Amino acid sequence: MNTILKHIKIFGVQLRNNFVREAVYRSNFLTAIIVDLVWIGVEFSLFSILYSNTPTLAGWTKHQVYFFLGVFFSVDALFSIFFQTNFWMFSDLVNKGELDILLTKPAHPLFLALTRWMNLTAGFNFILGLIIFIKYSNLAGFDWASRWYMVIIWFSVGLFAQLMLRFIFSIWIFWTDRGFALSRMYYQFFQIATKPDTIYPKLIRYTILTALPFAFIGSVPARALLGELSHKEILNVFIVLTILFTLNGYLWKKGLKRYQSASS
Amino acid sequence: MNLQWRWAALKNGLQDATAYRIEFLFEILGSALVPAAIQIMLWYALFKIGGATEVAGMSYASMIQYTLISVLFSQIRGGDLDFEIMEMIRSGSLSQYILRPVSVLEFIYIRGLAPKLFLAAICFVVGCLIGWFYGLSPIRLFIAMLLAILGNIIHFQISCALATVAFYWEEAYSILMVKNLLVSFLSGELIPLYLFSQNTEWIWKSLPFYIYVFGPVQIANGTWGWVEVAHHFGIAILWCLAGWGLLRFFWNKGIKNYQSIGG
Repeated sequence: MNTILKHIKIFGVQLRNNFVREAVYRSNFLTAIIVDLVWIGVEFSLFSILYSNTPTLAGWTKHQVYFFLGVFFSVDALFSIFFQTNFWMFSDLVNKGELDILLTKPAHPLFLALTRWMNLTAGFNFILGLIIFIKYSNLAGFDWASRWYMVIIWFSVGLFAQLMLRFIFSIWIFWTDRGFALSRMYYQFFQIATKPDTIYPKLIRYTILTALPFAFIGSVPARALLGELSHKEILNVFIVLTILFTLNGYLWKKGLKRYQSASS
Repeated sequence: MNLQWRWAALKNGLQDATAYRIEFLFEILGSALVPAAIQIMLWYALFKIGGATEVAGMSYASMIQYTLISVLFSQIRGGDLDFEIMEMIRSGSLSQYILRPVSVLEFIYIRGLAPKLFLAAICFVVGCLIGWFYGLSPIRLFIAMLLAILGNIIHFQISCALATVAFYWEEAYSILMVKNLLVSFLSGELIPLYLFSQNTEWIWKSLPFYIYVFGPVQIANGTWGWVEVAHHFGIAILWCLAGWGLLRFFWNKGIKNYQSIGG
């Protein structure tokens, strides 16, 4: 319990430090908003064009797809706020020996590595994602009265899934110095998560619901919130994420054994 | 015209790009196959699951053909040379290149063009092999490749003109990211541009991005007749000239503001 409280306090300090830092670079706020607005615009335009030619797409109506996009953008924005910058810095931590500083601190080094930098300007994008989510929730058939608490649960599931996936693409930096290539591969696969999982054929769908659970970022939470996820599928989500978490923990420990610090 | 340094830059660019061969291969396969696969699945969902028979005059088979052929040209369209130039301006490392007796932009472009020409050659061969079974004309494929390479030039010119914002603003990368998002949509990489409604087709027709992927695909699959091909080549050349003027103007203006901080 003390350890958990200690890490919560450290998180609070990280949050304050990042807020002060971000307040200095105000133009970052504007640039982050512009880029994400255009990205959201492109995704919406793509689906608008598709839906101008058909009433449904793999069982999803237009409003359900927009609801899914709201969930997806919100979860992705949360990831951007808390973790994205840390993953960009992750290869430098290992390659340049900057992990040394974190290893000597009286807190879990991975926790420090993944929470050190925050992109608080992405908070605007989270709000935008939430607005889209709320706007289309009734039209999509989301029952606020009985399922409002599920929003926090499934947004957390989406965030955790994205964290686990990003980590498993980043951890190999301990074995190779080509971190950039791995990041590019992650972002290529990430495109799969920008579409509802039901559009994919069985084999691909099975893969993105198990081995590479990109569907857990937006599509599965959206289906869960709309009450379209079976108990078996919910169980699958938690089993897959537990396995991924365990695997990531194992790879982290193995990676640390290979780590050559700056002083060695 | 001194070709020696240009040839050296071309060789250097190819060696640089293929230094890590597996990474080069993965990057090509990833950037080519993943978006194409997602598109194909979208069409599958639209036609086979949704039951649509025709969308904007295109059948399921023609959508799949479009998607597969577009993969050949999407690899040629343009890389991240604009980000490289932006970073050089921002970090001050542009100073090393200004001192050399060659044009900075031309040097960077030729170096970046090398892997694209290599890919163009591979894509042409692959296209001819596939075209053997699907009735694609090698002549049309070759002409389509030429248009794609013109598109590559235009992409570089417009992107680098935008990158010159880095002379004034540190966060210029955001403009380039916005440009990339718009280009991927308006070049025909994500969807055939014929899916745009009549009210909105002026958007893609008034910009040069369709020359990168959509135009070459229409030439390769025989949709455009030779008169139309000549018409769009003319438009591409005009955009090339406009892009050249734009880049020269903004670069000459911006370089006066260059501070070489850190360089």
